Amino acid sequence: MAPDTPSPGTPSPGTPPGAAYPAPPAAEPETAVSLRDVVKTYGPVKVLDIPRLDLARGQIVAVVGENGAGKSTLMGVLSGTVTPTAGTVEIAGRPMQPGRPDHSRDMGVAMVAQEFPLVGQLSVAENLLLGRRPQRAGDGALGRLVVDRAGMRAEARALLAEVGVTGVDVDRPVGRFPVPVRQMIEIAKAWGHRPVVLILDEPTSSLGPVEAERVLALARRHAAGGGAVLFIGHRLDEVRAIADRVVVLRSGALVADLTPAEATEERMIREMVGSELARADLAPPSTVAREAVLAVRELTADGLGPVDLDVRAGEIVGVAGLMGSGRSRLLHTVMGAQPRTGGRVAFAGADFRPRHPGDAVAAGIGLVPEDRKAQALLPAHSVRWNVTLATLRRISRRGVLRPRADKAHAARIVRDLGVRLHSQEQPIGALSGGNQQKAVFGRWLAARPRLLLLDEPTRGVDVGAKAEIYGLIDAAAQDGLAVLVASSELEELLWICHRIVVMARGRIVADLPREKFTKETIMTAAAGSAPSAGGKARA
Amino acid sequence: MKTTTAPAPTGAGTAPEPRTPLARRLLETPEVGVIAACVLVFTALALDKSTFAGAVNLQGMGFDLAQYGLIAIGESLVILTGGIDLSVGALLGTSVILMSWFNVRAGLPPVLAILVTLLIAGAVGLVHGLAVTRLKMAPFVVTLVTYTVAQGVTLAITSGTSITGIGGLFSDIGQMYVAQIPLPLILFAVVAVAAWFFLERTYAGRQVYAVGGNPEAARLAGIRGDRRVVSMYVTSSLLSAFAGIMVLGRMGVGSASGVGVGWELSAIAAAVIGGVSLVGGQGRIVGIVAGTVLLELINNGLTTLQINSNYTNIVLGCVLGLAITADRLRARSVARRN
Repeated sequence: MAPDTPSPGTPSPGTPPGAAYPAPPAAEPETAVSLRDVVKTYGPVKVLDIPRLDLARGQIVAVVGENGAGKSTLMGVLSGTVTPTAGTVEIAGRPMQPGRPDHSRDMGVAMVAQEFPLVGQLSVAENLLLGRRPQRAGDGALGRLVVDRAGMRAEARALLAEVGVTGVDVDRPVGRFPVPVRQMIEIAKAWGHRPVVLILDEPTSSLGPVEAERVLALARRHAAGGGAVLFIGHRLDEVRAIADRVVVLRSGALVADLTPAEATEERMIREMVGSELARADLAPPSTVAREAVLAVRELTADGLGPVDLDVRAGEIVGVAGLMGSGRSRLLHTVMGAQPRTGGRVAFAGADFRPRHPGDAVAAGIGLVPEDRKAQALLPAHSVRWNVTLATLRRISRRGVLRPRADKAHAARIVRDLGVRLHSQEQPIGALSGGNQQKAVFGRWLAARPRLLLLDEPTRGVDVGAKAEIYGLIDAAAQDGLAVLVASSELEELLWICHRIVVMARGRIVADLPREKFTKETIMTAAAGSAPSAGGKARA
Repeated sequence: MKTTTAPAPTGAGTAPEPRTPLARRLLETPEVGVIAACVLVFTALALDKSTFAGAVNLQGMGFDLAQYGLIAIGESLVILTGGIDLSVGALLGTSVILMSWFNVRAGLPPVLAILVTLLIAGAVGLVHGLAVTRLKMAPFVVTLVTYTVAQGVTLAITSGTSITGIGGLFSDIGQMYVAQIPLPLILFAVVAVAAWFFLERTYAGRQVYAVGGNPEAARLAGIRGDRRVVSMYVTSSLLSAFAGIMVLGRMGVGSASGVGVGWELSAIAAAVIGGVSLVGGQGRIVGIVAGTVLLELINNGLTTLQINSNYTNIVLGCVLGLAITADRLRARSVARRN
């Protein structure tokens, strides 16, 4: 268990910060966590390289960085789920055994993850006390063996009250609660371990403004009580509001260590993206044709619409919106992968009613789906099979594939897209995320489509490959392709798009030309009537 | 960067493939183990018992191989799509009975009896395929139903009495030799080559692998996987009935004693030993054929060595266990290298 003594009693949600948390014994060192020469590599790729990082007690340290900058790896190292390749980690002056989640938890590291490892079928109380017994449980043999239900319930309620949640029936299965409540339960669970270091991984992304404020208050309370808080945030305004110190990661390295005064949003973004994305040539190509390749009118489907949308040849149109706003649904419905319930779609001037993605491919549409592993790749099969998947019929003669033509075709795709590999016969699962994604792009560009639908085109892709993928999208638009790109990374859309449409609850609520691009406008539109919750766009 | 994939100038399309050492290429070929095992077992048995490699015994093995091999190929085609067909053996038994019944009791000429039976088997396969794709029923359950019903149909038709007096065409197909080679073996070879061509050389075959490997990815890539899946179930059932012709011709009577029941397990074993992954999407005809050959060599070898036939299944089971363990280890070592 954590070295701190458990907080006595049950403070109400309104308790002033610090009041409920006992001050640490004076003998404890000021440094809660110290990392020395911590390195993590996957094969040839270095995903984390931190020569030195100390987290002091009483401080809220925010870690910011793009997706893939190494934030999750850093947290994984601290919480024991990732074994570092080299280096040492000390918690409160004692060395931590790497790669041992149980050990790291016992030393006082508690983490609130984005994806909650809650057991849906178990009750709230059982989840909150998973892996430990109630404090009041008997120490006798009986107390060790038998579950003390009353004690569990009481402690679960006390914990929830501490994090500011009331009115939750602790006997109900967790799976029946909505996501925001589950997130708060997850936070209470971490809190219940009385940690020295509390790691919050985007804790507010699934919360409304009121709950988000409670979580921030909890973090402040923990710091004021002598704990250390590591706060991973995407919403830079939130980071600025809470952090006593901002650490910026880029490509696994610690590139900036800022005081609150230094950490303006502009500065943080600059440090996060580095120099390469400050380039001016990230503006989209000026090749927009006049006629619409895709004209969608009053399109409806399950959870979508009615939607009106035009995409012109050579145009890159972004689709922004919160999670569940219908971004992917829109793409899938256009592709024919989800049945439509009404409306019309004109593609290349003709009425278009796909009943299967095969119809869309035949008409000249390609889809790079969101979840690469589950929706795009044949992970066990060769790169060659993967890149030729959408063009098999085209390269065959009367249904017969000729091995030489097949190989030459695949080699051309791989070379044009700059996919780095040993051999086109190696399984695509062995490539890095960026190269896998380029291969998926190659699969579609080879089909010479007129419309490319991209769903989270750079998810799980390192920064370098990201820039290459933006280059591919640019080049595709220059060649006259219409591109519809859905992304949860706003910066990405701001950089590459001619136009951004914002979706909320299945409808398009804003259509912004490039000169009107600002994060604020998009987030406000995405959040609909509640602009204060706009940060959920990052979900 | 230029991103068009329009036809590049001739000659520029083929990137130099790095040559990998032969040993490593062999290691990465999943079928190597089972082929080596075939050679090893054959050589050992031939050295030990001269009768084993004799023409008579080889011809006998040829007949067996054709029967088991045909349904193993059908079974494998279904497994490649990510499904399983438990009905191949029972359906073979029913086909035997149906053909003899149509021929003897209904008085149809043998050719017509065969055609009608194939039609029925094809319809059964179609039902399997549609139930799996349209109704999203589990292949295991769907074909388990057929497995049960088919055995019942066999019993119902015969009431336990075998049907005698079948036409000469059956024994012609089932017992004829062409240049000392059993005709069924030749027919099996033809089917195997056709299946190889389909899987390795046609785009439809590649799509079968894609559907088995990742159905959602295949769908979003515009592949109509349902058609491929249905056609594989139909082919599997057709091959069962086709194998039934050989069996009927060889036995000379429409046996009511449940011929074929349990053969589906040999077929699955042959496929797995030959490197076919039960989750779908992986496996090649070479391996499937080699797997069938290995099982037949062992089966026949045990008889030749005059080992009590009660022990046969123990040995076959152990071989299956060894094969899947070896394959797992091989796959893991390849994965580590990558």
